[in-house]
Amino acid sequence: MELAAFWDLILTGLLRGGFYALMALGLALVLGVMNVSHFAHGEFYMVGAYAAYFAHTAFGLNPLLAILMAGLIGFAIGALVEKVVICSLRKRTKEDWVMNTFLLTVGISFVFINSAKLIWGARFRGVAHYWEGTIYLSEGLRISIDRGAGFLIAIAAIALTWFFLNRTQLGRAIRAVAQDEIGAMLVGINLDRMNTLTFALSSLLAGIAGGSLLSINAAYPYMGLRPSNRSWYVVMLVGLGNVGGAIMGGFIVGIVETLSYYFLGAGWQDVASLLILVLILLFKPSGIFGTEVKGVLER
Amino acid sequence: MLEVNNLEAAYGHLQVLWGVSLKVSEGEFTSLLGPNGAGKTTTLRTIAGLIKPKGGEVKFMGESIGGRRADQISRMGLSFITEELNLFTRMSVRENLLLGAYGTRDKKKIEKSLDFVLDLFPVLAERRNQLAGTLSGGERKMLALGRGLMSDPKFLLVDEPSLGLAPKLVLSVFKALQELNGRGVTILLVEQNASTTLHITDRSYILERGRIVLEGASADLVEDEHVKKTYLGIE
Repeated sequence: MELAAFWDLILTGLLRGGFYALMALGLALVLGVMNVSHFAHGEFYMVGAYAAYFAHTAFGLNPLLAILMAGLIGFAIGALVEKVVICSLRKRTKEDWVMNTFLLTVGISFVFINSAKLIWGARFRGVAHYWEGTIYLSEGLRISIDRGAGFLIAIAAIALTWFFLNRTQLGRAIRAVAQDEIGAMLVGINLDRMNTLTFALSSLLAGIAGGSLLSINAAYPYMGLRPSNRSWYVVMLVGLGNVGGAIMGGFIVGIVETLSYYFLGAGWQDVASLLILVLILLFKPSGIFGTEVKGVLER
Repeated sequence: MLEVNNLEAAYGHLQVLWGVSLKVSEGEFTSLLGPNGAGKTTTLRTIAGLIKPKGGEVKFMGESIGGRRADQISRMGLSFITEELNLFTRMSVRENLLLGAYGTRDKKKIEKSLDFVLDLFPVLAERRNQLAGTLSGGERKMLALGRGLMSDPKFLLVDEPSLGLAPKLVLSVFKALQELNGRGVTILLVEQNASTTLHITDRSYILERGRIVLEGASADLVEDEHVKKTYLGIE
């Protein structure tokens, strides 16, 4: 195999991994902080894609603003869903919380997909490109500007989230809720507010992912299912609720998938990555980095 | 400053507190003593808002706080240091302390509290970048106390600070509490270690099977026959 082809593969894997990392980060936050087994994460990706589509085509916003809009709409709808549905469930649930959140979020997913079908119909709505052209990195190694820009946006969103969680009081408070709810309450943190903020933030990240990939994956009612499954795959691989691990895991899965796609063929990429997951869970059920988050989904 | 009247509390159908009344005035160092399972921790948890009272009244600084959420009560200036400590174990010592001042907006005030706490517990300054989960038992207690002090509280509830500590550390924790009280913080201390507690506190309540059975100045309680026999091991 030529060196250029090898780098091409790695690059493709990284570009893909950036989005897996972005999606998985949002899911890991919801798992770690709220202990919600969230199966509607992909639907916020779908919401982001539609938001960016209409912002870009109907309102003529430039791509960056359209993607930002996708994130903000994801945030707003995420906050609304948490306040109206998940928070109400928390107030009423006495036991089986995790199972209840599973059923609830599957229901949310169903409602979102079918609403999209009802409103916009089962047809693809995409843009040919946000930015025209390709970037030449070296001989035989080039990527479209859309992919490059999308990757940079994903990395920037991850970095900003990381900064927010580790360097601000509000971000620390979110982590505090994940680590010790009673401790968090006793220092004066309002749990309800943190849960809403976490879910909205997670939905913002999914919205940005959907928005910035619009020229590659057109908006479509069912488009969120695969990203949702992929992000579950990543968080199971690294350990549920592990936020730092989810970022690493996203890149690992992106590269593994690309390599298996190249060497084994398109039909085998899922087999290869799922086989790795099965093997890891067989020998280390808490995931690669999962030692410290064993409380998630068991509380 | 704190007034508890006829407080009743239960876990499900299991009632633990049967009309507990106590009163702590500003600046006082008060203790709540009693055997295992008497309801001491439940009393503190109910005052702090972690358990909703089943009956009775809790008044803090003239306001009725029974049934309010724990985070609201904490923001009124009441800090509860639990027996389990409830530290954020995967965060550094410094981050734990900063979160203690979560309700404070003023950066200068936070810095001041941080200096105060690190001055009170110099070992925390040495360990400031270490994860809380990697501290020793004594250091954890100090961190929990320090975190509780970061909000500059008016009132401190402390649950069994001596539990699981070496005798030398127990002494230093009690000294720290005394010093805090000397600086104007009102304290309600729950303890099993009766003899030391009675010697450092102003007033004490004895709780048995969910009821207050004795109360008074700690110096008088040391002389009480029941206390002597049951808690001090003197026949």
